[in-house]
Amino acid sequence: MRGLRVTWLRSLLGAGAIALAAVAVRADGPLLAERQARLFQQACAHCHLRPGLGVPVLGDAAAWEERRARGLETLLANTVLGVGDMPPLGTCGACTEDDLRRLVAFLAGLPLPGATGAP
Amino acid sequence: MKRGVTRRAFVRGSLAAAAAGLAPGCRTTTTGAAVEVAAPFTPGQPLPWRNWAGNQACRPAARAAPASEEAMLAFLARGEGALRPVGSGHSFSALVPSDGTLVASDLLSGLIASDDERLQADVWAGTRLHQLGPLLQAHGQALPNLPDMAYPTLGGALATSTHGTGPRFGSLSTMVEALVLATPSGERLECSRAQNAEVFQAARCSLGALGVVTRVRLQSQRAFRLVETARFEALEAVLEDVERRREAHRHFELFAFPHASLAQVVETDEDDGSATPEGEEDPAAVYLLRDVYRAVGGLRGLGGFLYDRTLRLASGAAETRRVGPSFEVLTHARIARFREMEYTVPADAGPACLREVLATIRERDIPVVFPLEYRYVKGDDVWLSMFHGRDGCSISVHQYADEDHRPVFAAIEPIFWKYDGRPHWGKLHSLDATRLAALYPRWQDFREVRRALDPGGRLLNAHLHSVLGA
Repeated sequence: MRGLRVTWLRSLLGAGAIALAAVAVRADGPLLAERQARLFQQACAHCHLRPGLGVPVLGDAAAWEERRARGLETLLANTVLGVGDMPPLGTCGACTEDDLRRLVAFLAGLPLPGATGAP
Repeated sequence: MKRGVTRRAFVRGSLAAAAAGLAPGCRTTTTGAAVEVAAPFTPGQPLPWRNWAGNQACRPAARAAPASEEAMLAFLARGEGALRPVGSGHSFSALVPSDGTLVASDLLSGLIASDDERLQADVWAGTRLHQLGPLLQAHGQALPNLPDMAYPTLGGALATSTHGTGPRFGSLSTMVEALVLATPSGERLECSRAQNAEVFQAARCSLGALGVVTRVRLQSQRAFRLVETARFEALEAVLEDVERRREAHRHFELFAFPHASLAQVVETDEDDGSATPEGEEDPAAVYLLRDVYRAVGGLRGLGGFLYDRTLRLASGAAETRRVGPSFEVLTHARIARFREMEYTVPADAGPACLREVLATIRERDIPVVFPLEYRYVKGDDVWLSMFHGRDGCSISVHQYADEDHRPVFAAIEPIFWKYDGRPHWGKLHSLDATRLAALYPRWQDFREVRRALDPGGRLLNAHLHSVLGA
């Protein structure tokens, strides 16, 4: 069981930013720029690519369904300030508001409005 | 760090049954006494900054995240005003807060080069520890030891002498062969024992007070595998035998349960290929532990007895075994947020200090149930390392992030002073520069290096003014 998990995790983490950026390309254009793909690897991947922690994992539609219903702005505010066991800023010291908005939308599977924000 | 029970199977079903059966409806997770620092967020306005634990916050005027060493140097050279480096924000102490500029090294991450004969690797300092293991393993290398969590940046971990456990291993700072420091004036300084040696000794644990470390040369060993075994035992029996145990294993640590007679013992050794995994980690089990304490621990007269019995029954003969590459076994997921105070006392004073801490908690009925962590770390020559000049025993006290840690830490901290303890730079303590100076033989040397590199005090925030006396 654990071996399977580790193998899966390693394959995801080991793919690196380029592969992640490719994953983040959707039909309507890239959701994550290379910078944000790097920040995802730095800050988000350590929890959101690890099943079994009680953390909603990237691609787990059921886990994100209830969170998606709260809307992007609520998820963004929870990410910035931290909520429950989610740490403030997702531990990303470099992230701007726009970075976080895109990363949250990417994880939750939400459409991204044409948002810009002050760093 | 901190989770013993948070990270190991703890016979969750038995504990849950105890909590639910003895006190239906008591499965609350907050007490309403949390210490959260206000940092409102308004979309479109500058982002606030808060640390992992939520007890430090600021609203910086600007943020910077240079994407190359050249950009970092240029940023520092042209910048004015207050400045603080920021990593993953995992420090509990106020190392980061500033109303000036926060400069992150997140975009300076990854492997630069490796020397597979010397088993050395040059790594960008913004690399997270969870990225470091796979990067080194790809070159057949592994660090000899790691902290027990992997969220911090390498640079942030070095700035606070972050450490793991094992009497034959120093902190991460001791694994640094060389580093590059971007000074507050934008100068690039290559530092090692042979080059800018005094800056090197100061910069291996600098609190981020000397500039921004951009790259680090790490001394590794050949990649290796470990097997970690965790089990529950009677604490006093373990402490009676602790000197033998700490020498008998590559890594040894224990988690002591306040208000109980139990300890979780964690022993880690090289894997000869015969070990098989057993059990699962449960990163949220500390919440269940609190539920159990609330259900039975507060019962007048019998509370302590019932709590101890419940834990003993729930733990039973449970044993977990984790097997894998060293960087996967040494580090653990940490989901439950908490606040932490850690002091390092001389290694031989560890058992007596831990006993006194636990006795004080019991006698004063201090409301803390989060397990205490007890580890050994080898002494070193890093000027501001908590392990400078002596082998250490690090004892950590935690409180849940949604409860008030202050009365708990205030009651326990004086015990550490009795044992000549040195506080972890990234964790909570109340010492100022006057008292810290007495704990570090090379204190003045560090101050002189700091003054030479940052004469205007650009990198000093209120906390650093207090602890460095600058």
